[in-house]
Amino acid sequence: DATQGTSGDCQPCPCPAGATCAVVPKTREVVCTNCPAGTTGKRCELCDDGFFGDPLGQSGPVRACRACKCSDNIDPNAVGNCNRETGECLKCIYNTDGFFCDRCKEGFYGNALAANPADKCKSCSCSPLGTVDQQTGCSQVTGQCQCLPNVAERDCSACQPGFFNLQSGNGCERCNCNPIGSTN
Amino acid sequence: PRPDVDALPPGTHLLFAQSGRIEHIPLEGYDMKKDGAKAVLHLPEKVIIGVAYDCVEKMVYWTEITSPSISRASIQGGEPTAIIRSDMDSPEGIAIDHLGRTMFWTDSVKDRIEVASLDGSQRRVIVNSDLVNPRAIITDPTSGNLYWADWNRDAPKIETSYMDGSNRRVLVKDDLGLPNGLTYDSQSSLLCWADAGTHKLECMNPARGDRSKVLEGIQYPFGMTTFGKNIYYTDWRRDAVVAVDRYTGREADEFQPQKRTKLYGIATAYAQCPSGNKPVVRSPYSSGPTNPDS
Repeated sequence: DATQGTSGDCQPCPCPAGATCAVVPKTREVVCTNCPAGTTGKRCELCDDGFFGDPLGQSGPVRACRACKCSDNIDPNAVGNCNRETGECLKCIYNTDGFFCDRCKEGFYGNALAANPADKCKSCSCSPLGTVDQQTGCSQVTGQCQCLPNVAERDCSACQPGFFNLQSGNGCERCNCNPIGSTN
Repeated sequence: PRPDVDALPPGTHLLFAQSGRIEHIPLEGYDMKKDGAKAVLHLPEKVIIGVAYDCVEKMVYWTEITSPSISRASIQGGEPTAIIRSDMDSPEGIAIDHLGRTMFWTDSVKDRIEVASLDGSQRRVIVNSDLVNPRAIITDPTSGNLYWADWNRDAPKIETSYMDGSNRRVLVKDDLGLPNGLTYDSQSSLLCWADAGTHKLECMNPARGDRSKVLEGIQYPFGMTTFGKNIYYTDWRRDAVVAVDRYTGREADEFQPQKRTKLYGIATAYAQCPSGNKPVVRSPYSSGPTNPDS
């Protein structure tokens, strides 16, 4: 405030070098107006959208702003891809999930880090008849669904050899064929 | 620059979002008065995506994604006020029907289009199916039509409906990439879009369905608006507002703010509301308000 008539009227901007600042007339709050490239916020303490870090080291060591790190599982045309401070990925695609979009989302399995999107995460597609409690989730890595007793296959879609009646919904039953009269 | 709302002088302006602020460029005729450009609003902690203008009350409206919300402020000087703060994930495009006194927005995570009165009341979901990455949305208050673009990489499209979401139809689906920007000029009845995938700027008359290319080789359009003969779009590569003459198909001018960072939504703040034909009033509430949670 240059109108008070004291030597302390004008103070240096509380902003990184190169930034200008201004005073909000109503609240008298000081805000930086031209933050260095890639930064923003009242004190240039935030990263621009699409970047994350802690440029002033407000909650630990200084971390320069860098592009969202989301395992190539975000779309550059999207906005708000990661949390500007922590870097937590917020818009994972290709059925991925997790802090870095580094695993498959619930109901999908495979390698979220595969190079080709088609090889990333596939739907579990567990067979409702053969799966415990008709669950839709499966092992993240192998894709194995949780099968009812004596049920086989990754997706629990068939009985084990020597068992039948998947349709029961309670698992498969032993065939109990007479070994003498059966072909196998 | 002052960090709160700075009253705009009379006349028509462009309003655009850049990294926690809304800036304006005065227009002189159709030319950008670049030396008159300055910030209207400083919201340093926010990431503002969509910008819209209500020519009746002279208010600017915007969507924001850090604490997902819609806010507004008078451009004649006034405090920013949040009007919608709940049940949103990633509000992007915003459009105003100045005749019906409603606003429409897209949410790219909830994958839906909603409407509410300009004070945030009477909120209602009008489209909640077949949306993947809805972004730009605009209204034609005179005809009662709504237009939006979905940049879904597998099947991008531009759609239209009445203002209650009924009579929904796909207008464009071929030869689209990332249709980020959309604008409608009521004088010429032309719907125009800017595509960051095909790098083209194209227009069509939605009633006739004829499509024409305005300009090729544009870089990375995001937001888009129109005023008279010009189209103005924000560009993510150039960090600039680019003016294109629709009739000559040539770039007319460019404004690059001092700060080099992405520009998002852009809107025209008209000196007066555009005069048009007698409006066809189609209320978004024709089938009764519903709760957005339902």
